Amino acid sequence: MSNFDFDAIVVGGGHAGIEAALSLARIGRSTLLVTQTMDSIGRLSCNPSIGGLSKGNIVREIDALGGEMGRLIDQTMIQFRILNRRRGPAVQAPRAQADKFAYNLLAKKTLEEQKNLHLFQDTVTDLLLNSAGTSVEGVVTERGRRFTAGAVVVTTGTFMEGKIFIGEYVTSSGRLGEPAALGLGKALREKGFTLGRLKTGTPARVHADSLDYTKMDIQPGDDQMIPFSFSRRTLERPDIPCHITYTTEETHRIIRENIHRSPLYGGQIVGTGPRYCPSIEDKVVRFPDRIRHQIFVEPEGADTREVYLNGISSSLPEEVQEKFLRTLPGLEHVHIIRPGYAVEYDYIDPLQLYPSLMTKRYRGLFFAGQTNGTSGYEEAAGQGLMAGINASRYLDGADPLILSRAEAYIGVLIDDLVTLGTREPYRMFTSRAEYRLCLRHDSADMRLTDKAGEVGLARPEALAALTEKRRGMDEIKELLRATRLSADENRSHLERFNGRTLEQLLKIPEVEVDEILPLIPGYHGFPREWLRQAELDIKYEGYIARQDLQIRRFEKMEKMKIPEGFDYNRVEGISHESREKLKSIRPVSLGQASRISGVRNSDIAVLMVLLNRKGPAGEGNDGSENPAL
Amino acid sequence: MQDLGYHQDDKICALATGWGQSALGVIRVSGEASLSALETVFSRPRALREASGNSLVYGYILKAPGGDPVDQVLVAVFRGGRSYTGQESAEITCHGGIPAVQGILESLRGAGFRDAAPGEFTLRAFVSGKIDLTRAEAVHEIVTAKTSRAHDLALHRLSGSVEARVNTVKTRLVKMMSALELQLDYPEDEVGDEILPAPEDAGAERRELEDLSATYRAGRLYQEGIKIALTGRTNAGKSSLFNLFLREDRAIVSEVHGTTRDYLESWISLAGIPVCLIDTAGFRDADNSVEAEGIRRSQEISRESHLVLYLVDGAEGMNGEDRKVWENREQSGVLVVWNKVDRAEAQDFPEGVFPVSALDGGGFDALQQEILRRIHGDELRMAVDSGQAVIDSARQKRLLDRAVEALGHVESGLRDGAPLDGVAMDLREVLDSLGEITGEVTSAQILDTMFSGFCVGK
Repeated sequence: MSNFDFDAIVVGGGHAGIEAALSLARIGRSTLLVTQTMDSIGRLSCNPSIGGLSKGNIVREIDALGGEMGRLIDQTMIQFRILNRRRGPAVQAPRAQADKFAYNLLAKKTLEEQKNLHLFQDTVTDLLLNSAGTSVEGVVTERGRRFTAGAVVVTTGTFMEGKIFIGEYVTSSGRLGEPAALGLGKALREKGFTLGRLKTGTPARVHADSLDYTKMDIQPGDDQMIPFSFSRRTLERPDIPCHITYTTEETHRIIRENIHRSPLYGGQIVGTGPRYCPSIEDKVVRFPDRIRHQIFVEPEGADTREVYLNGISSSLPEEVQEKFLRTLPGLEHVHIIRPGYAVEYDYIDPLQLYPSLMTKRYRGLFFAGQTNGTSGYEEAAGQGLMAGINASRYLDGADPLILSRAEAYIGVLIDDLVTLGTREPYRMFTSRAEYRLCLRHDSADMRLTDKAGEVGLARPEALAALTEKRRGMDEIKELLRATRLSADENRSHLERFNGRTLEQLLKIPEVEVDEILPLIPGYHGFPREWLRQAELDIKYEGYIARQDLQIRRFEKMEKMKIPEGFDYNRVEGISHESREKLKSIRPVSLGQASRISGVRNSDIAVLMVLLNRKGPAGEGNDGSENPAL
Repeated sequence: MQDLGYHQDDKICALATGWGQSALGVIRVSGEASLSALETVFSRPRALREASGNSLVYGYILKAPGGDPVDQVLVAVFRGGRSYTGQESAEITCHGGIPAVQGILESLRGAGFRDAAPGEFTLRAFVSGKIDLTRAEAVHEIVTAKTSRAHDLALHRLSGSVEARVNTVKTRLVKMMSALELQLDYPEDEVGDEILPAPEDAGAERRELEDLSATYRAGRLYQEGIKIALTGRTNAGKSSLFNLFLREDRAIVSEVHGTTRDYLESWISLAGIPVCLIDTAGFRDADNSVEAEGIRRSQEISRESHLVLYLVDGAEGMNGEDRKVWENREQSGVLVVWNKVDRAEAQDFPEGVFPVSALDGGGFDALQQEILRRIHGDELRMAVDSGQAVIDSARQKRLLDRAVEALGHVESGLRDGAPLDGVAMDLREVLDSLGEITGEVTSAQILDTMFSGFCVGK
């Protein structure tokens, strides 16, 4: 490998590319990042926000694993909220409005300052393979440059053969104003990969001064900003409100009248769009009974007058967009700066990947991000980070780092992709995680930072902070356990609980940690986040214990590993369909096999019988047999 | 899991009917090329080779290829995919005597078959996708069922009625789950609280599952049967009553002597429930030196029994010991039977005893009704009679109870305004448990528990 130009090459500078490149470089790999447009690194192509339900958890997981996204948003947010506070600890999540331009600049600066990382502007059009055609050895660019490396991470987002639609207008592009990456999709198909087409869309950006905010509801941020990054305790950033308005019956009428001009309904777009994030055309057609749809009006940054209209993405012709937008309260005189559009792009069927995100076809080749069929910055970044870590592990010949479904949303995300594949842009939901009580955003560091340490990615200060937090949490819990409410405290509304410990008190739903802390003699204060976490641990102890039981059952199946190269042709008694699925997906464990759609339970039972027959050897995970994962 | 490390396709054989003297026996064989192996010890190999699936071939099983006949048999031929196990297989109906069965199995072993492990036929049926878990369990019970009512119950379940009932509940719970998840997947300001499930809905489903779980007792009752001990003083008429039971209700297992020859037991069918009737006669017949031992044994049997019938000799009236039992009857649950009411001197009996005449059968019907009333409540009886699904495997009971418990958490969570993510977790637990009942969820423990309870040949 020493005669390669680099240890690793990352193709693309979006949210996946950033994490992949930084993690490789930080572990100490000489890394090249090739991107088409240097100025677009880390661009927020769609909504100007990071986080949200389950996505906020992913951001904090990325941070806990030594990734960058949390640190980037912490320094560029212009509003912060915790969503779903009322609906339970596991599903509440942080969300921040980002200053789009500041975010983009900071991402670029971070890459530029990273040791071991080289940046280069060009378009990758093909891959270099070894002579046997079994592993990747580098990339070829549009301008004919050839760079060699032992590992390549492809994070091309929506750019591979990207096509933009605005009404009848169609152009080859990955993002409005930026050319598509042509050639790579074709090269991958020629190399045997299955690629599909997906579609996504974005709404118009409009001028703030053309809006009448007095006709909209205001949506302020929380009083207190909580950093996404575990390496920060507090955060002081500007707080700019968002606004809410609604579509009207008139809006819907205009859309219906012009639906034939939509490339989605006119048949020009073949790619599948996200069911969960439909365009306004989709909403109007699919929910004809709804008299209005909620639209969030979000600032694109602190130093711009551009405003993002969340919830009304459209690929109708520009004049139609302007016409229907003007039917929304507060938007009567709206001035569009950039129209909404749909983008259709190549994605690789993620069933062709191992859980490490390496392709089954070529060793050393990894795919991450939207190009794997996902949607969302956070989902992309999480994959980019894991692909970077595992590309580095691969270069060392070490076992990949695979996060389980009970360990991280990122684990759920990747397991879903490589086990079930996806036919529409995959977005994370809390409901995709079976064990979400254990995947709270506040516990991401406790779950994951040690792992980052093991792969050489955790910052020393993060490991130190975690040790300190663990000690602090123990101390807090011990204090709550040991302190009894005595009669002389005599706080009126808690008086009836005299004699009980503070821990017992905290289990009462309406009692919050803040009100009982002053009851601790000589209390000297702990960081708020620790207290809150200790409170949730105690309050939901019963639920968490039950969840732990479920996880133990789940892990039994996960621990039954299927050896690499297991010959499904020799397994008697399984259905043809199952056999074909198992052969193509090549699950690494019985647990993963059981989640493959179309594989019957009885087939899993047969496998279980066969794997059991191997005795302890079949049961134990012999990772050394399985270097390719 | 004990014996699941076997090959799936090798040739196995086993007696599918009970060991012992009976008119007919059925020996099962299954596995790849099992029919051609069978041909080698069959008197009409060509007839067997040419037989189509699901047909019968008459002939003799031979001691060895070309050897002497062992027994005259009918072979039911099943071609691959169409058999119980999903594999090529056959069922050999032979004469039921132990020598014939032994002889045939010997020949089969010589022809390359090995003895099947317990549950192996059903395991093969399960792994080839022929049956789901509840059906696999039902098979187990059909073959061990002691009376025809038990047989019906098992058959009913084999046709999937437990599965159907569980699935009905599950469908409604999945809807509830989606409503919950919708709340959790979208922010509060986008989706309101209007579609939250009501705690009453969870309660209704919980009761439904509780009802199903409660049928376990009835299921077991019909499956395993109960023990009834006949006790009382010597000459109170225990043996006569015992014989009356045997005469009135068809004895389904032949009379056998107790291990120590000091008591008799016999299986009878009482309204479809298998009853093991134990006559403790003989305890007191021995001389005084063993009387103490006799009392001890008698007490032991009574303790192990579900119901004790204490016979009083009505012609003699109660003596001191009888009176003790009589006064203690509420506490002990002993049913006091006043025998010999056919005699004039036995007419003066106290209220609360069951007067019968073991001699002419007088009062016997009322006694049987009382026994039934005592061994299962009216509700269970109704559940069974109405042909509802009845569970009788411990695995299903355990899973149902787990679902009921979790559903209780869901109910209280919704009522007390617990965080929805916690409620959703409990609901998922319910769904997982129900899924495991029908085998939709494969967890490592299912097979562990499933196939270990089977007998050879099933």
